[in-house]
Amino acid sequence: MTEAIADLGRAMRAAPALFRVAFADVVAYRAEMAIWVLSATMPLIMLAMWNAVAAEGPVAGFGQTEIARYFAATLVVRQLTGAWILWQLNYLIRHGGLSPLLLRPMSPLLYEAASMLSAMPFRIVILMPFLGLLVAWRPELWATPSLPSLALFAVSVSLAWMLSFLVQALFGMASFWLDQSLGLFGVWFAAWGLFSGYVAPTALFPEGVQPVLYWLPFRGMLGLPVEILGGFLDWRAALPEVGIQLGWVVVIGVIVRYTWKRGVIRYGAHGA
Amino acid sequence: MIRVRELTKVYRVPIKQPGLWNSVRSIWYREFREVRAVDGISFDIEPGERIGFLGPNGAGKTTALKMMTGLLHPTSGEVAVAGFRPQDRHAAFLKQITLVMGQKQQLLWDLPPLETFALNRALFDIPKAKFHETLDELTELLDMKDFLDQPARNLSLGQRMRAELAAALLHRPHILFLDEPTIGLDVQVQADVRRFVAEYNRRHQATILLTSHDMTDVSAIARRILLIDHGVVRFDGSLADLSRKFGGGRRVVVQGPLDRLAALGFVAEEGRCVATVDRDKVNELLHAVLQVVPSADLTVEDPPLEEVIRRAFGEAREKHAAAGGAR
Repeated sequence: MTEAIADLGRAMRAAPALFRVAFADVVAYRAEMAIWVLSATMPLIMLAMWNAVAAEGPVAGFGQTEIARYFAATLVVRQLTGAWILWQLNYLIRHGGLSPLLLRPMSPLLYEAASMLSAMPFRIVILMPFLGLLVAWRPELWATPSLPSLALFAVSVSLAWMLSFLVQALFGMASFWLDQSLGLFGVWFAAWGLFSGYVAPTALFPEGVQPVLYWLPFRGMLGLPVEILGGFLDWRAALPEVGIQLGWVVVIGVIVRYTWKRGVIRYGAHGA
Repeated sequence: MIRVRELTKVYRVPIKQPGLWNSVRSIWYREFREVRAVDGISFDIEPGERIGFLGPNGAGKTTALKMMTGLLHPTSGEVAVAGFRPQDRHAAFLKQITLVMGQKQQLLWDLPPLETFALNRALFDIPKAKFHETLDELTELLDMKDFLDQPARNLSLGQRMRAELAAALLHRPHILFLDEPTIGLDVQVQADVRRFVAEYNRRHQATILLTSHDMTDVSAIARRILLIDHGVVRFDGSLADLSRKFGGGRRVVVQGPLDRLAALGFVAEEGRCVATVDRDKVNELLHAVLQVVPSADLTVEDPPLEEVIRRAFGEAREKHAAAGGAR
């Protein structure tokens, strides 16, 4: 535990350097970064689709304006919860690139997390013009959330990022044991797309399914912060769900920690 | 500084026969073979020692090195480095060591080495003043000032290796594990790296453990040799002892006419006359040479290290075969 706290301290001290490296990386890969951000514009496609459906009348309380606001918020949350530790770990483990990271006095997972968070501001900067255009097109999309909602959104979106990172890390660690761990993630990604609120607000699911979705981790990775930001969920109503989010972060965090320890021993067995 | 006792590493390697049926079968039935990469080695290394950790490919030296740096977990036995169990990868331990692997890189590929250095400064908690002092020293020793602001991907292999060394040494480690540090480098850069490592050892009394197949590296850097083969230490001693044990005698080199020396067993080698004799026969031969060629220019030397090592490996293999052992 003390080692983990010391690690966190080092990560904080390393933050300015990591930020500079992330910035230099963005400059070096500016075209790739822009394409990467723009490729995450699936919510805009869903917006167009659901907008057409809602033109004939509101669906489960979602009219055209609500649909537009929901997917605009989805676009923002997707950018704020972006993680790519799955591909990073898969590559590092299979090609032996983990060794130099294991020799640094900071957990490679924490290092990767700090690197990814450092790139976040640049993702937002690239996203800004698109959001500006969206609001210029539909000014009614702009819903100023209350201060408590905004605060809860900050907490919820942070937890959503942690969940995304940890789940990806878990699948990435499968590379310690399997040759092709990316295929496994494909199965998870399909379930996530369906149940997280990515392709449709979870409110559109049948009522019998709703309690199940409430307790699963998927909504906590996207739908919940989207609904708080879009004003679909009052902060008081959202509070218990943020608690569930936190619970999942702790549970998956513990599994990640255990799996990482086993995996690093296994990494040795590869002789990498 | 380093204490190794009965250190063993056994890998479980999956076996897969060729063919479609065997591929299908391997889905539910996997066979494994055990490979004893390191088989109960023991030794001690004192602070400031310069060790050549030698052995043929697959001897187990890199596996042993990785156990000493904490990258691999031993199957059994003990290893302690600077008082730590390496596999715990305690931060205080990692700040005292470095591992330079010739073909693995820690430089940020698209950014100048200075960015990697700045990152390492933060990760290793190096105080600013000490960082600049060390960087200045490394820049001078490794002659890096002309390329530190260029992206790593644009550097030549030699420049990159120098920057890798600097990145690995910024935190001034006390123990350097060097795994083939000169592999792939041109002759000039190889010489620079050897000179630098020896100088670093002199300035900072650092302990150095080197693996290399290049005997010039070994003779320039190492003062003690640990010879490992089939996971077992076959020799532990000084270079001179190694030469004595496996050299098969000393070489008497004479600048003189071969036709008069051939009868004494001399053969031509690179324009000189050379004879190899047992150590206790050297004086006798020198006396005989001076009888034949009174003004001869004589030198007595140990056989080249390559030859000594080749013989040592050969002898080790024979012993292993005699012991009946495929691993």
